[in-house]
Amino acid sequence: MTIFLASVGFGLVTASVLAVAAIGFTLQFGVTDVLNLAYGAVMIAGAYLAYVLNQAGLNIWVGLVVAVAACSAGSVLLNSGIYAPFQRRGATPITMVIVSLGMTLIIEFGTQAIAGGTSVSYTMAQGPSVRAGGLVLTTVQLVVIGLSVLVMLGTHVLLRYTRLGKAMRATAANRTLARNCGIRTSRVITLTWAITGALCGLAGVIFAMDAGSFDATSTDLFLILILAATFLGGPGQAYGAMLGAVVIGLATEISAAYITPSYKYVVAFVALLLVLGVRPTGLLGARA
Amino acid sequence: MSAKDDTGSADDHTGSTVPGAPGARGVELRATGVTAGYGGDPVIRGITVHVEPGQVVSLVGANGSGKSTLLKSLVGVVRVSAGTVTVGDVTVTNRPPEEVARAGVGYVPQVDDVFAPLTVRENLEMGGYLLRPKEVKPRIDHVVTVFPRLATMLARPAGKLSGGERKMLAMGRVLMLEPSVFLLDEPTANLAPAVARSLLEEHVRSLAQGGASVLIVEQRARAVLAISDHTYVLAGGEVRMEGTPAELATTPAFVESFLGGTVTR
Amino acid sequence: MNSYYIINLLIYAAVDAMACLGLNQQFGVAGVTNFGFIIFQAAGGYTAAILALPDQSANGGFQTYIGGWNLPFPIPWIGAAMVGGLISLPFTFLVGRRLRGDFAAVGLLVTAVLLNLLVTNYRPLLNGSAGLSLIPQPLQGEYNAQSSGYQWTLTAIAIVLCAVVYLFVRRITESPYGRSLRAMRDNDVVADSLGKNLFSLRSAMLVTGGAIAGLSGGILVSYITTWSPAAWGYAETVVLFAAVIIGGAGNHLGAILGAILVPVGFEEVTRYIPTSNNLPPNLIPSLEWVAIGLLIVIFLWVRPQGILPERKRVIRAGAAAIPPTAAAPPPPEPPVPESMAPEPAVPMSAMPVSVLRPAGEPPGDREVVLEAVGVSKEFGGVRAVDDVSFTVRRGTLTGLIGPNGAGKSTLLAMLAGTLSVSGGTIYYQGRDVTRLPAYRRARLGLVRTFQLASEFKRLTVMENLLTAVPDNRGDSFRGALAGRRYWRGDEAAAIARAEALLERFGLDGYANSYAGDLSGGQRRLVEIMRALMAEPRVLLLDEPMAGVHPNLARRIGNQLTALCAEGLTVLMVEHELAIMDEFCDPVVAMAEGAVLAEGTMAELRSRSEVVEAYLVG
Repeated sequence: MTIFLASVGFGLVTASVLAVAAIGFTLQFGVTDVLNLAYGAVMIAGAYLAYVLNQAGLNIWVGLVVAVAACSAGSVLLNSGIYAPFQRRGATPITMVIVSLGMTLIIEFGTQAIAGGTSVSYTMAQGPSVRAGGLVLTTVQLVVIGLSVLVMLGTHVLLRYTRLGKAMRATAANRTLARNCGIRTSRVITLTWAITGALCGLAGVIFAMDAGSFDATSTDLFLILILAATFLGGPGQAYGAMLGAVVIGLATEISAAYITPSYKYVVAFVALLLVLGVRPTGLLGARA
Repeated sequence: MSAKDDTGSADDHTGSTVPGAPGARGVELRATGVTAGYGGDPVIRGITVHVEPGQVVSLVGANGSGKSTLLKSLVGVVRVSAGTVTVGDVTVTNRPPEEVARAGVGYVPQVDDVFAPLTVRENLEMGGYLLRPKEVKPRIDHVVTVFPRLATMLARPAGKLSGGERKMLAMGRVLMLEPSVFLLDEPTANLAPAVARSLLEEHVRSLAQGGASVLIVEQRARAVLAISDHTYVLAGGEVRMEGTPAELATTPAFVESFLGGTVTR
Repeated sequence: MNSYYIINLLIYAAVDAMACLGLNQQFGVAGVTNFGFIIFQAAGGYTAAILALPDQSANGGFQTYIGGWNLPFPIPWIGAAMVGGLISLPFTFLVGRRLRGDFAAVGLLVTAVLLNLLVTNYRPLLNGSAGLSLIPQPLQGEYNAQSSGYQWTLTAIAIVLCAVVYLFVRRITESPYGRSLRAMRDNDVVADSLGKNLFSLRSAMLVTGGAIAGLSGGILVSYITTWSPAAWGYAETVVLFAAVIIGGAGNHLGAILGAILVPVGFEEVTRYIPTSNNLPPNLIPSLEWVAIGLLIVIFLWVRPQGILPERKRVIRAGAAAIPPTAAAPPPPEPPVPESMAPEPAVPMSAMPVSVLRPAGEPPGDREVVLEAVGVSKEFGGVRAVDDVSFTVRRGTLTGLIGPNGAGKSTLLAMLAGTLSVSGGTIYYQGRDVTRLPAYRRARLGLVRTFQLASEFKRLTVMENLLTAVPDNRGDSFRGALAGRRYWRGDEAAAIARAEALLERFGLDGYANSYAGDLSGGQRRLVEIMRALMAEPRVLLLDEPMAGVHPNLARRIGNQLTALCAEGLTVLMVEHELAIMDEFCDPVVAMAEGAVLAEGTMAELRSRSEVVEAYLVG
């Protein structure tokens, strides 16, 4: 029982990190139509930027803010400099995926070239542990969970109640009709890259906090969790990504308590392949 | 949100001078010698049409004669390779669709005419995207008085509406801005004849009576002729004949041309 | 040292070239994007290793693994290829027709990452992250594996095998089967409608590519004598993709060139970078990866067709007229039908074989060949077609008209089998075909075309036509392997038929142009000709003249009339009623899902209900 509760605790943290990452990833795909596999690479670049600032003596939470801003700006550039020109040329979805894999190599190993191949950790206080009903969580873990809940609420508010969020959903649903309504979709798409890039940066830093130590290739496997959560919920569906993140996060960590931890990703993998093979539109997806 | 890429006086994202204001009425639509297509051979060639404020002008002709392509080229969805399109004093030839909308043109496409995952209310809000936030709600209240059926289903996703409700939503969405020019692409397709007639006679006609310029594509030639001030017959991507419904009705060649007959150019 | 260096270079080149050929066959030729390609090379490597290694206790038990059968050369290599092919089978479910290509690619990528993780962490299987080492080299007991003679021989064998793989993939690609693969790559939906089994084609390519990758892995471990998870990270697949894209996807020589430039080239270039103490240890390998990423993106932007683009398959006019050599089986000439009487408008005498399958009865017999009885179709409660009954008689060019939304295209789709009926029965040649799927009806001679342009863009016009030929002996994996001599007869006959059609429709000057370069009207012609190549008895045309210049439309009409005179039956949906006037008899008028009237166009025009239908809708 203690093992189970402890794994639920880990699962909640993983699910929280995953939810932030998967919301960003799925919105990127839904609104801009780019299946951006370089998302994990951007995450780790952000995490490493926060590390550099942290090493320079800045508080890690300051580093987090800078990383969020940098990933936001970087994602906007990634789209306007690479993806958008390819899309304008009419590149097929497969070509876009290959381009995004090329960008993965450039960003991920570019980070490694600067960072070196060794694992690094943030210098930060974990804060006192908090017990609640058998769960033991550090303050940092609680903050991560709190941030994730904020992001989910924020996403909900953005998509349901703001002009921009509704315009994003309208653009995702029918770009031409959105333009016929006077919506400047290119601007909406740029803002979407900015928002999802910020989520990507946030996910990168809290991923690194949760992992303890990380190197440039650490998100290779995490990207699989992101993909699993995204496809489980239905690609492009923000609420689906939240649900998928909770399911995948809890499932991987709880299974890790009972089988060898290094196999915990297998759960996500099986879930992903099942969804792809049986119901590619995901649990919440309705789009054919 | 700078205004540096704004093009005309009617173009302001906050919507203060957008067509929402009654003063924006009285704008004519003029297309001159428009040739357009999808990259290969042009689908329409040298088409000239003109709609004055307060008029309903209809485009009829067989499927594939280029009616929908003409509307799409007017709103910037299909590229115009020759000719000009003006809305009032503003030239909108090959302007992006969002800028044409900002120039006061409301367009109801034939298919994909609503945002299926969004609720009816959200669809209307998107229709009123260019309005000031505080103007949106009163405008929705007004639109549901025009289409009372929509009032009971504001929270329903548009994808779950019936064909007729969906068309009403598409029309209502465009009404949100009270545009000065309406382009309607077969608004009665797949509607029951009675519903179609009431849509044309009540709603489309009243748009023009309110001072707007209305250009409508229709398959139901007789029904649309009944509400038209002027009609163009398209065939093979060109205007084959035009005139008032009364003139056309007395021209044997009209029925003849509509049913094919022998091709004489 | 120097000799060692060259041997090393050559073996790596042979192995990488082999892998790139396998990947190119999948990605460049068949359009199957297998981001898990490296799995199959890895499987081959491990298979060769455990087949060649002695039992795990033999080396003092410092490594654990399953198998260890100590089998002699060449069994490990054969096993490597077989296992590489076999483990492709579970993945075939990802590449069926249901899943978007990019989603399937993601599934394969994820699989590659996960399998690597599993092998890394589960030591009993294949010694975990440390991998296998001391893998015996081929026949190392009989020969001195260290001698340069032995090494050179191994190298030569690797190169020869690479050449064999090249000939193998070329044989597949240049056959009618390869043409079907390329057609699937260009437009899988249309290939499906032409009776190509997408699942089978893609599965065959996964297995073939997997076997080639497995063999390359087997050869590699026999040379380097170690194999570990670090050698096959997901990024290695990206390197192979980079090689194929840079070399030229779809061109097998391009794949070999790419293999030499990218994986081999990078290995060699970095050899010359001085290892300075000032540099961080990971810098050079990291920058290598960055460079590969840059190359992929830059090439896709600047030269997406690669250094050696896929070459155009030119088929010379009159190639079919050259008599086959004595060794070849005689082409199975279909008997010339009696109805093929010389036709003045068309140079029939120039046609070596018939355009059409024998029509049986002479035209004019007019017996019913296609019949709909009470056919209905509902879409979510709406009756698009409501209890329609009508007949199509042999040898007629029957028109189907009606205002938009009348249900014409829906009816046509139900007749062809691309849509199922909600009610009613469809008889074709007296047989109930209501439940037969589209491709089965197509094989019986009931063939349709589509409203949208559907040509295979990167196939020539001639190839587009040849793709539709049913029962070409070379249009199967086995037939392709049997070689040109096996299928040249069928091919020559098909080319002759295609040439006759091209001449007939006035497109003979474009036989060797890419279909994607034609004008809209010409593409419609290609589609009609392609449908005719499928040897239809009844041809269902959905708006064949839409967007076609009136002159060309008239030419299409004339040719269809001529074909009907030879026994073909055509049912044509068309909006330009002038066409109906000129060519179709009888014409069936539909409105709101029901048949209103039937007769000549002139008769229909005099019927008020038809006029009303058009005017009121």
